[in-house]
Amino acid sequence: MTLSTLMPVFALLTSLLASVVIFALPERGYRLRTVINLAAAGLKIVLVGVMIWGVAQGREYEFAFNMVPSAEFVLRADALSMLFAGLSALLWLLTTIYAVGYLEDSPNRSRFFGFFSLCVASTMGIALAGNLFTFFLFYEMLTLSTYPLVVHRGTPKALRAGRNYLVYTLTGGAVLLLAIAWLHGLVGDLRFQEGGHFAGVDPSLHGPLTIIFVLLITGLGVKAALVPLHGWLPQAMVAPAPVSALLHAVAVVKAGAFGIIRVVFEVYGLEAAEAMGLLTGLALVAAFTIIYGSTRALYQIDLKRRLAFSTISQVAYIVLGLCLFGPLGVTGGLVHLVHQGIMKITLFFCAGNYAETLGVHRIDELDGAGKRMPGTSVAFTLGAFGMIGAPPLAGFITKWTMGSGALAVGMDWVVAVLVLSSLLNAAYFLPIVHRLWFAEQHQAWPHERRWGRLETSAWLLWPPLITAVLMVLAGILANVPFSPLSWVELIVAREAAL
Amino acid sequence: MFASAPFVLLAVLLPLVSVLLALRTSWQQAYRYCLPILPMPALLVGLLAGSDWGLELPGLLLGGLWGVDELRRVFLLLTAALWLTCGVFAIGYLKDHNLRRFCVFWALTLAGNLGLVMAQDVASFYSFFALMTFAGYGLVVHEGTEQANRAGRVYLAMAVVGEMAILAGLLMAVQLAGSGLLMDLPAAIAVADRRWLIMLLLLAGFGVKAGLPLLHFWLPLAHPVAPTPASAVLSGAMIKAGLLGWLVTLPFGEVSLPAWGDALVMVGAVGALGGAALGLLQARPKAVLAYSSISQMGLMTLMVAAALASSEHSVVIFAVVALYVLHHGLAKGSLFLSTAMALPPGRWQRWAMWLFIALPGLALAGLPFTSGAMAKLAMKDVLKPSGLGFTLAAYLPALMTAGAIATMLLIWRFLWAFGADARTGTNSPGLWLGWASATVSSLLLFWWLPLPPGLPVKPWFAVMQAQAWSLLWPVLVATLLAGVAWQIAQRRK
Repeated sequence: MTLSTLMPVFALLTSLLASVVIFALPERGYRLRTVINLAAAGLKIVLVGVMIWGVAQGREYEFAFNMVPSAEFVLRADALSMLFAGLSALLWLLTTIYAVGYLEDSPNRSRFFGFFSLCVASTMGIALAGNLFTFFLFYEMLTLSTYPLVVHRGTPKALRAGRNYLVYTLTGGAVLLLAIAWLHGLVGDLRFQEGGHFAGVDPSLHGPLTIIFVLLITGLGVKAALVPLHGWLPQAMVAPAPVSALLHAVAVVKAGAFGIIRVVFEVYGLEAAEAMGLLTGLALVAAFTIIYGSTRALYQIDLKRRLAFSTISQVAYIVLGLCLFGPLGVTGGLVHLVHQGIMKITLFFCAGNYAETLGVHRIDELDGAGKRMPGTSVAFTLGAFGMIGAPPLAGFITKWTMGSGALAVGMDWVVAVLVLSSLLNAAYFLPIVHRLWFAEQHQAWPHERRWGRLETSAWLLWPPLITAVLMVLAGILANVPFSPLSWVELIVAREAAL
Repeated sequence: MFASAPFVLLAVLLPLVSVLLALRTSWQQAYRYCLPILPMPALLVGLLAGSDWGLELPGLLLGGLWGVDELRRVFLLLTAALWLTCGVFAIGYLKDHNLRRFCVFWALTLAGNLGLVMAQDVASFYSFFALMTFAGYGLVVHEGTEQANRAGRVYLAMAVVGEMAILAGLLMAVQLAGSGLLMDLPAAIAVADRRWLIMLLLLAGFGVKAGLPLLHFWLPLAHPVAPTPASAVLSGAMIKAGLLGWLVTLPFGEVSLPAWGDALVMVGAVGALGGAALGLLQARPKAVLAYSSISQMGLMTLMVAAALASSEHSVVIFAVVALYVLHHGLAKGSLFLSTAMALPPGRWQRWAMWLFIALPGLALAGLPFTSGAMAKLAMKDVLKPSGLGFTLAAYLPALMTAGAIATMLLIWRFLWAFGADARTGTNSPGLWLGWASATVSSLLLFWWLPLPPGLPVKPWFAVMQAQAWSLLWPVLVATLLAGVAWQIAQRRK
């Protein structure tokens, strides 16, 4: 066991151990809990950073043993897993800071942070999983660790949303398990492998492989909130803001999207999937989801609900990018995994700030909030423009790369989808921005709290500001090494080289 | 040798970084006085920079290239000069209410406007264009009235649709060119299979900003409703961004497209004459001026049409377009600023003031020995029907004359509306200085500004003397018509 074998394990254990320790801590151990949380999150960033550096140099980190006969437990750090691991490590730290401020004085914090760390451990496992079997273990662990977070408030509404969440995700999990088992029976244990396994596969297998693909995507599509499997997501926004932020930006929906990426890229292989005609259907589903999510978002008056429908739409960008089966389109889709994460977490942080500081939940109550909370509102405005895809922000890089990719392979209709979706995004985000800055406040804030000189607690203010800056940098410096775009170009180059 | 590179960066970064002055409410008075400083580095670049060089910024966006060439230099000069005078004007004009917010949006819009002129790669160009568009919204709705909000909604809706058309067009062009640099696009578009679609998207997308007929609806709403210094930059400088967008992307000089020339001549004619006709019906002076801008952009569209139709003339036509842009921008800026000026009480001062308000307007109509006369003569030179091989070229001289008459009529309408509206009183020093510098740069400084080098060198003064009558008669005809209309109106009372 060398160090490079154990690196992925350490990355996983930081949050797993943090979770165990936090569960064991008494409720009032506020200070110690915060220190452990932040130390673990910081340590994980360092570990992931080291691995990212290593992977860029061409090093591989792998840990594997036989869990049961014929099923291996594999943790592996490759370029693709580092994309997701890097995102979740970074956002975990910021969300932890945010959550500490957000849950100040509220009950059951020990339970909350315990499951929170467990949830991040699952995400890390999903990122590092080296085969479908390992992936599935962590995928289900994620379901179970997020449920307590969704129902954290314990209100009837939260419990209902939680039940709904479980029904959707456990069913999806069952379908996924069925597909994985079938695939295992058909071709044995398959590791994720750049370029996939099924290039030039026996045509007699095309039939079952197609059905298995549909089952896999269905199982993963529940978490990725592809229409019509999205029903749980808008309800789950009753969860506390940091949970929603994490759910929408990294943990749950991204786990689904990441799974789809692994299946398309590294189980089937892009070329094989295209040759079997699997991608066109998926592209249509994704395109429909993009438009559907945006259209529904237009009609929401609750801020978080509007953001939730926006997530449904934006995550489908990732899937649509994959279906463009050319290097540029794939780049656009993959890079959106990171871009959407940073942008959406900014927006949810801000929504949480308005709720915590002013008691504002509905969009029409936001009039004049820019004057009262300029920092939060600047972050929100940047996030909104990023989502619309306005240059030079991160969302623009996504849209530009995907659009170029679509044109390169002759799928011009995708450009129309991107344009239409941007118009819809503008239609539901710009009125909010107008209210923040240009509408006069016409009533007292529903439930205002004050924190000295700052507009809100520093714990709540800094995370959205930092993510907003990251979002701007991801756009402006897209061509610099180790930017999300450059990293994704590295991934795509490695996928194509095989 | 003028060290251009740091100044090019500073020209964009200074307005962007100035936003930090908004961190404290107590700094907003300081911010007000900083507004005229913001475009100064850009003005220096416009005045001193050598042409044809670029500053490579490989890490920026998808690979950046900034710099100025002959065409951009003129646009930069106009943009910086106008924002500077309007910044001075804004010092005196702005009230304390929401001052900080106005300054932020002013600086961001300025950064976008300057940046898009200097950007030579598609991603930066489109970024700055979007920055100008979206930050400009803050200027349009600043007053917060119902009317301003309505204008803002129309502005934003049309602008977003325009941005999307531009995005689609640029995506297709870049894909074909295999390069992210603007200079590689025209050649790629010229040989594209779907040239018509790309050109249509770009013409329409930039046409929203340039106020093309049917894409103009936002313009007469938004330009007048903004605070006066903002109206002046909207109508003087920002409207030209659409024109610049056309000039740097469409396949000029690569291929002659007579059908496009014919179509654009029609669009330009509708804009030039239709804009003037609608402008005559307006009662508010700023609304008359906004329609006048549509009309003037229509005239510039005629030149774009000619350049598109005959590739061999495009270089010299570009130089004339640049000259026209400089002339119109300064004159229109001065006219817009004058709408906020109060007339002095003394009789002689009053008449002097009227004269200086009217002169930039007369320049627009082509009065001899003004910037307009030079622009019109140069335009007449390049739009000779004989050299341009497309059907509607024969109508260009007539259209230009009709345009001159229409322009003069509009100016009379403007002066009439202004007279009905005008206050008598005093103006703060900022207003005086801003308005006077805009007027002086339109009437006098114009002659010393570096003109586009592609322009035919002529003894302009002597040429104007020789051509005085041909320049003057449309002005006189319009004045006669205006006089008759005035008489009729008086009698009806």
